[in-house]
Amino acid sequence: MNPNPLRDPRDRRLPRVPQPCALVVFGITGDLARKKLLPAVYDLANRGLLPTNFALLGFARRDWGDTEFAELSREAARQHARTPWREEVWEQLAADITFVQGSFDDDNAFDQLAATLGELEGSHGIGGNAAFYLSIPPSMFPTVLKQMQRTGMAESTADRWRRVVVEKPFGEDLPSSRELNALVDSVFSAEDVFRIDHYLGKETVQNLLALRFANTLFEPIWNGHHVDSVQITMAEDVGIGGRASFYEKTGAARDVLQNHLLQLLALTAMEEPVEFSAEEIRTEKLKVLRAISVPEDMETFAIRGQYEQGWLAGERVKGYQQEEGVDPKSATETFAAVRLGVETRRWAGVPFYLRTGKRLPRRVTEIALMFKRAPHLPFAETDTEELGNNQLVVRVQPDEGVTLKFGSKVPGSVMEVRDVSMDFLYGEQFTESSPEAYERLLLDVLLGDATLFPRNAEVEASWAVIDPLEEFWAGTTPHAYRAGEWGPRAAEEMLAAEDRRWRRP
Amino acid sequence: MTTLWDTTGSAVVKELAAQRRTGGAVLSGVALTLVVVADESRVSDAEEAATHAAEMHPCRLLFVVRRQIEAPAPRLDAEVLIGGRLGPGEAVVMRMYGRLGLHAESVVLPLLAADAPVVAWWHAAPPDRLATDALAVFADRRITDSSIADDPLAALKTRAADYAPGDTDLAWTRSTAWRAILASSLDSVSGRRGEPVVVTAGRVEGDPANPTARLLAGWLSSRCGCPVAVEEGTRKPGESGVESVVLTLDQKEEVRIHADRKGGAVISQPYRPDAAVALPERVLGDLLSEELRRLDPDEPYSDALESATGVSDLADRSPMREHVWFDPAEENGNGSRTKKRAAAKTGDS
Repeated sequence: MNPNPLRDPRDRRLPRVPQPCALVVFGITGDLARKKLLPAVYDLANRGLLPTNFALLGFARRDWGDTEFAELSREAARQHARTPWREEVWEQLAADITFVQGSFDDDNAFDQLAATLGELEGSHGIGGNAAFYLSIPPSMFPTVLKQMQRTGMAESTADRWRRVVVEKPFGEDLPSSRELNALVDSVFSAEDVFRIDHYLGKETVQNLLALRFANTLFEPIWNGHHVDSVQITMAEDVGIGGRASFYEKTGAARDVLQNHLLQLLALTAMEEPVEFSAEEIRTEKLKVLRAISVPEDMETFAIRGQYEQGWLAGERVKGYQQEEGVDPKSATETFAAVRLGVETRRWAGVPFYLRTGKRLPRRVTEIALMFKRAPHLPFAETDTEELGNNQLVVRVQPDEGVTLKFGSKVPGSVMEVRDVSMDFLYGEQFTESSPEAYERLLLDVLLGDATLFPRNAEVEASWAVIDPLEEFWAGTTPHAYRAGEWGPRAAEEMLAAEDRRWRRP
Repeated sequence: MTTLWDTTGSAVVKELAAQRRTGGAVLSGVALTLVVVADESRVSDAEEAATHAAEMHPCRLLFVVRRQIEAPAPRLDAEVLIGGRLGPGEAVVMRMYGRLGLHAESVVLPLLAADAPVVAWWHAAPPDRLATDALAVFADRRITDSSIADDPLAALKTRAADYAPGDTDLAWTRSTAWRAILASSLDSVSGRRGEPVVVTAGRVEGDPANPTARLLAGWLSSRCGCPVAVEEGTRKPGESGVESVVLTLDQKEEVRIHADRKGGAVISQPYRPDAAVALPERVLGDLLSEELRRLDPDEPYSDALESATGVSDLADRSPMREHVWFDPAEENGNGSRTKKRAAAKTGDS
């Protein structure tokens, strides 16, 4: 029997709304919480996607009263919200916001947090359900998790759920990520752990699954018989900002390659899931991640770089080693490019070129499938000089959409074929009100939908790819590239070695 | 923007193609064609709403404004806009004079985006039988708005009598926010109990003459299998015509939702403190954009309409309409009186 007569599967107008619950944010005064989480909560409230009984509990070291905290969160939400500001919505939400002050090693503070949560159960009717968002450095995880275990806050029971949200980086290599996973899993059960990779919350990434599995057009050519190679690029024009101490220890490979790029690779290369459900999609992604092979000739096919001073977008920018807080002799990479293989029947022999970097000419993320050349061209050789490989490009950001590049005749009396592109644009104009990645992911956590969250086995499989690279790079100096260039020369040579070249995104 | 005075349909098609060529990439990815039938007095409202909706759903906008059916010579004026006042996409605003208004489809058909769904929206009084307007016949989805009729309840009955799958009404769209809150309130009751909820009775308080309040009551009664009446409220309710909803549940429980008139609603339910949620009034563009989200027949709407009007078997009707010729000038013979009536008909209401 339908537990709620008003729910009708045919009724697609009614939004998915979570059960009554609380969202507890550790590190509520941090950058991420202010710029992403609080605005996302406001946007959810504004769209009517929060449950009728909801509470937001902030926990941080700073000594703040409820009013100061309310003022700060109001400013944060107002400044960064994507939906129009409505004071009345905020006022209703503000009544549900509480602040608890304390340090993470303070038993009293956690006892108070547990007590406050208990009170909210009565006063806000949250029914004992809570999601804990760890918006704190990973080094603090053990302390906070142990406190949660001690106070019994982490236990899901038959009549309440408790979930935890963890941000990347999920460890810094395979052993440390295993340790972290073991720790989190010892406190929360595996299905209650949500690891946020905000890239997976983007519309285009989800659209990739629609593009592949809802159409008949692409799947037949989505394999090594037709695809020559795949290029996945995530470029940023910014430097490291104020994150020197974090970045010095991490580097581009751990920061981006291990999570975003490998997840994009997995979604591109995975087999069709049995159904569109969290478990089935994760199963297929995991199979791909486990099938990834690293290059034997790492000297040529695993390149890292570091930016030097240069000019970018009309401004002179510092080199990495001159950035504030960076060791002047630092050997941390700000660029990484690698050739990976996927050892499956579908992909054997197709190279996957992945690259990411900071201070590259523009901010862009895309997945490009380069198709094989036609086996025979009936035209004269001079007619097709300008014809390249056919390409299918999924543009993740900006200008979200899909591009198809193919040859076409140049108008005129002679036969000449050159490349043209056909664009499908999700265009900025059209996506103004599509939800922000954090908003979508936060809602999914509260709903308990894990489709867009990598599970621990995926994280570990990803580290298993990165570890040999890091091992090879240890003790070497990264190749230098000027800020404002598409990476070091060695990255160009890496593709040139196989008669290919990077697509300029 | 180009304005074509006293022009022809093919000139409009040519001009649109010319602007597309020079317009650039903003034009790609058109998902549907939205045909807006508006009265002159409501054109600017309709333009604003359609522009808003087009931001969410890339579409080609075609406005049809019929004027002065009795004018002796037919005439077409058209504005072709790309990336201008009507948003980033393609839009054509057409004013049709004289008998051309009865053959609007001859101008509209060649302008439809190739093989994309067509949605027709009347921001005007729609014909009693939609089949008498050829624009309704080729539209895959037809949107009316009973709340702008002089007698909204009679309009709702007319819509029920004429219903075919694919019809929808903005009076129904206005109930979505209420329905969402009601459904999630019952979620929280069933979540707490851990067992199903049964609604034994219910009532909607508000404006009994408001079609949204009627449809909401109709929906509740069709979902819960018990009669739900609309009772006169104590204050003047907002656009939705609903002030509060009370549902009586099994186990002697009651859920009550009350609009606080400040863009919110208060939910009262057993064992839980009162909770406030957002319930803002929505602008027309927002409602329209919700309609464009899905283009298949809306069964919950036909159930609600059935239950609100007492007309049965709506969902079993054929989704296809066949054009029925209707000439307002021939309605009562051929006298000059009828011509005046025709003018009044196409004029304001």
